[in-house]
Amino acid sequence: MPDARSTQTRPLAAPVTSSARATRWRFAAFWGLPPLLWQFAFFVVPLGFLVAMTFWSVKSFRLTPDATLANWTFILNAGFFRNAYVYTFWLAGLTALLASVIAFPAAYTLAFRLKPATRRFLVFMLVVPFFTSYPVRIYSTQIFFSPQGIINAALHPFGLGPISVLNTPAGTVIGYLVLTLPLVVLLQTFALANVPRTLIEAAHNLGCGRLRTILTVIVPSARVGLIVAATFAFVLAFGDYVAPLYLGGSKPPTLSILIADQVKSGNHWPRASVVAVIMIATLIAVMTAMLALAYGRKGGKR
Amino acid sequence: MTGTKAGPMLEIDRVAKRYGDTVAVAEVSFNIEKGEFIALMGPSGCGKTTTLRMIAGLDTPSEGELRLWGRRINEDAPWERDAPLVWQNYALFPFLSVVKNVEFGLKQRGLPAAERRKKAMEWMERLGIAGFAERSVDQLSGGQRQRVALARALALEPDMLLLDEPLSALDPHLRVRMQSELVRLHRELGITFVCVTHSHSEAFAMADRVVIMSEGRVQQIGAPRAIYRRAANRFVAEFVGGNNLFAGKASRASSGSLRIDGPFGSALAPLPPDPAIGEGASVTLVVAADRIDIAATRTGTGNEIEARVVTMEVVGSSATVFLETAGGAELSVQRSLHQIEDTPLNPGQAVIARWSQDEGYFLPA
Repeated sequence: MPDARSTQTRPLAAPVTSSARATRWRFAAFWGLPPLLWQFAFFVVPLGFLVAMTFWSVKSFRLTPDATLANWTFILNAGFFRNAYVYTFWLAGLTALLASVIAFPAAYTLAFRLKPATRRFLVFMLVVPFFTSYPVRIYSTQIFFSPQGIINAALHPFGLGPISVLNTPAGTVIGYLVLTLPLVVLLQTFALANVPRTLIEAAHNLGCGRLRTILTVIVPSARVGLIVAATFAFVLAFGDYVAPLYLGGSKPPTLSILIADQVKSGNHWPRASVVAVIMIATLIAVMTAMLALAYGRKGGKR
Repeated sequence: MTGTKAGPMLEIDRVAKRYGDTVAVAEVSFNIEKGEFIALMGPSGCGKTTTLRMIAGLDTPSEGELRLWGRRINEDAPWERDAPLVWQNYALFPFLSVVKNVEFGLKQRGLPAAERRKKAMEWMERLGIAGFAERSVDQLSGGQRQRVALARALALEPDMLLLDEPLSALDPHLRVRMQSELVRLHRELGITFVCVTHSHSEAFAMADRVVIMSEGRVQQIGAPRAIYRRAANRFVAEFVGGNNLFAGKASRASSGSLRIDGPFGSALAPLPPDPAIGEGASVTLVVAADRIDIAATRTGTGNEIEARVVTMEVVGSSATVFLETAGGAELSVQRSLHQIEDTPLNPGQAVIARWSQDEGYFLPA
């Protein structure tokens, strides 16, 4: 009897597991396919089109499919492109740094110093800016900083000002911060809230004062989250078109302004595409580097 | 350290801790002497960990005073105190290597790099973890992490070491080894150990003195043996284990002794000074399980109770025999195997449980 049973079950076992695997695959395909299709249709295909277009040419203001490297050599050799690239990279980096530094005390307070109810309310308030569209917020910022705007009106009675921020790089950075700061505070708050309390208490217990504990324990513990927050700020600022246009006055132009300029003057979509592809490549490189920084190099040797 | 320090090292004087409406510690007073190994013991929620946290400065008392060598330290920040803590979950810094973890406290004290490395390595050598110096913390086993946590605390060369459930996260065989290692370290270093534990076997095996807590209050303080021999109240008698508690009514027997009658039968024990325990009162008689003898027949001396064997558990060379009286009272008897080898103890067997009148003591019911 036991022999008969074992000879029966053995050949049956394999098809059962393989059909279970097939079920699992069908399940994954059913739920995973729609977003994959969406991403393919609206991200991969346009991206491929964008890359392809960098090799096209423009003949008497008309796009013509081609296989030329002329757009690449033109853009890469153009002084105005290099200047804009360095300028955009620098402003986005500065924004990531400023946003991280400005956000940290707020995130620290939210994560460690407030009652849960107050924290929930303030986290909700940080989401409120996203209720209005970003260009609207930039317009209102413009009103704040205009020559006869709210800020100069407030400074005037103290004999200060007028300050002129509009149409300067400072204006662009302020616009970038309007865009990124609420998000950076949120991400930093979540990162800090996940730092184990016992690690902070252990640091105190071993003779570390509050400020020192922030530098030696809290920041290293929350490193991944803090770096991700800064990376988000960089990515958003690097590609932003609204702040440099309305607050920075397009002077000097950032890469996003440059793309618009290429299209406006001469309908040169291929050259604009080259700039866009370089921007995407830059962001991929920056994100890879930041993630390596975030997850790499732990305490000791592995 | 210095000869001028007289009296107790740390006085915990009517200390209470409340979080809003929740009372963590109702009122606790006891002293910690320099160099002793003291264990705070009790069930979870008894306030032992909160008391330890207040000693470390991680919680501030709502009431009462903590005095270190006579000086109030309630308001001292944790980083101003010299009482490193070994955490239950070790709380090692995962972003630092093992040796950097051990150096952490020394670095905060501003010791030069070479000196702190040397000191850290000495302690790691002593605790047998020197080989892991450059490893990352998450590559270590639980026992190794515990040693890192100990080295990190002891490298500061404190006068007082705090331990929060130091053995609870370890495997049983490691637990016994670590237990004797802690006792050895305490003896060699001569510093004060304050250890929180919920296990009476741990507390009794390691500590010079045990503070038994329940519901935010101290129930009894004393040497393990003294507590085991005479519990201060029913809670302690039940919590430390190994005791038989017999409920009943008291009646006068003779000068100096009291008689108790209950479902278990009746017995005599010395009359306690407590005025609540006297003729006619409901009382509890406590008899340690290892003080009860078991025999096949009556001898007519001491207290003798007729009972039937329910079951017997043998651990190593000792046995616990569970008995039930005709009145339905249960009692347990601990004997070494050779003491009972001539007594038949099959389930259902009728036996006599016997103990001398001086071995039992009364507590209020």
